[in-house]
Amino acid sequence: MKTRNIESVITPPSPHFVGDGFRVHNFIPYKADMQRMSPFIMMDYGSKFYFPPTDKPRGVGVHPHRGFETVTIAYKGKVAHNDSAGNSGVIAEGDVQWMTAASGILHKEFHEENFSKTGGDFQMVQLWVNLPAKDKMSKPKYQGLTNEQINKFQLPNNGGVVEVIAGQYQDVKGSASTFTDVNLLNVKLNKGAVTNFSFPAHYNTALIVVEGNVKINETEVVPTNNFVVFQNNAEDFIIEASEDAIVLVLSGEPINEPIAAQGPFVMNTRAEIIQAIEDYNMGKFGYIEE
Amino acid sequence: MLEKFKTYLQKNAEVDDKQFEVLSKYLKTQKIKKHTILLHPGEICGHSFFVEKGLLRSYTMDDAGKEHVIQFAPENCIVSDRSSAYFNQTSDFFIDAIEDSEIVYLDKTFMEKAYEVSANYRVFTERALHNHIRHIQKRVSLLLCATAEQRYMDFIKLYPDLMLRVPQWMIASYLGITPESLSRVRNELAKKHFKTS
Repeated sequence: MKTRNIESVITPPSPHFVGDGFRVHNFIPYKADMQRMSPFIMMDYGSKFYFPPTDKPRGVGVHPHRGFETVTIAYKGKVAHNDSAGNSGVIAEGDVQWMTAASGILHKEFHEENFSKTGGDFQMVQLWVNLPAKDKMSKPKYQGLTNEQINKFQLPNNGGVVEVIAGQYQDVKGSASTFTDVNLLNVKLNKGAVTNFSFPAHYNTALIVVEGNVKINETEVVPTNNFVVFQNNAEDFIIEASEDAIVLVLSGEPINEPIAAQGPFVMNTRAEIIQAIEDYNMGKFGYIEE
Repeated sequence: MLEKFKTYLQKNAEVDDKQFEVLSKYLKTQKIKKHTILLHPGEICGHSFFVEKGLLRSYTMDDAGKEHVIQFAPENCIVSDRSSAYFNQTSDFFIDAIEDSEIVYLDKTFMEKAYEVSANYRVFTERALHNHIRHIQKRVSLLLCATAEQRYMDFIKLYPDLMLRVPQWMIASYLGITPESLSRVRNELAKKHFKTS
């Protein structure tokens, strides 16, 4: 077995606010290039942060997306979502929302009303997964996955659990459907557990330590909130929990197509971006109230 | 930090590299944070601002404290208060940054030097001035007699990406309509153009 080596361990960059509800550290594309990490073209990580109670929910107002999928993984706190395709829901701790913006969607994301009123710790990951050119203009889709609906692999010897959000781990298939091969695993390890992961070498692969500390490939200790990018030299790597830990592992087949990105649109050409802006201005993404 | 301004002068006023090198000595640049106010009413501001990166706006505030947007200035645009920049009178306007921005200060010395160095610069500024007046004329006319939808359609033609960069209330303020009217216009457009299948 040849080991997939670590390319870099990235400490969280200074946070910034998206709207007034999401305090995030941007790892992709700010610290790791989007073409390098393809199909993962954006990753905002909201490390654990306390929001005091408020009557007016914090969040991000109506905004569009086209050309990719947004995946929100809730670790602490609750997010309410509404979109122009008529979907709405609340993502609570342990849940995942997989929204395919594709040809275009308007949505808004706010802290859920009761969570806002009581206040509390908030911790989330938002990932943008690119779509291949042939699917960029497909119909928007919404997969709201509660924690119960996410397929799980129980690690032996009470080691913990791997929640297979997408892709596959051992014999367990992921709950979300994807357009290209994407593995997204939420790995909850008990102290001392050791488990290995194997993805095709050319798949771009990374992880973020959400809770606790882990040791990777028996050598590198990675603390909470750090992001690890792996080399594409081999298939296998090992995670060992130095203490109870949660790690989000991502590995996907690169989409080798040009990327033209501006704000909330990720297309293949500049002309398609201009078209997206025009379509948004002209109401072609639909309408939802502010 | 003068790349866009250099291209702007090369393209519009045919200023060459050597001329620009002379002129750049008279330019001051600055990086400013979002919400920085560059000009307050009552002040005299002897220069115009060219936006290298980011977004500025000029606005007035009425007695009730409500803001009225006069102009947005994204990249490659110039914003100024002409009362103070050209007539040495106190300004009625605020100028502030809506995004983190990089700006170039254009003052009288720079203008005079530019006239001296480049014959094309005078022709260009005259044309730019008329173009600006033409724009203001159209804006007055739209504010007096156009529907909310006509104002919006004109706005997205002039500033295609600002709907993505500026909060809706600020755009409504620029258009002289309420945020509810802007929302209604966008809803009507969506009804016409949004296909669900």
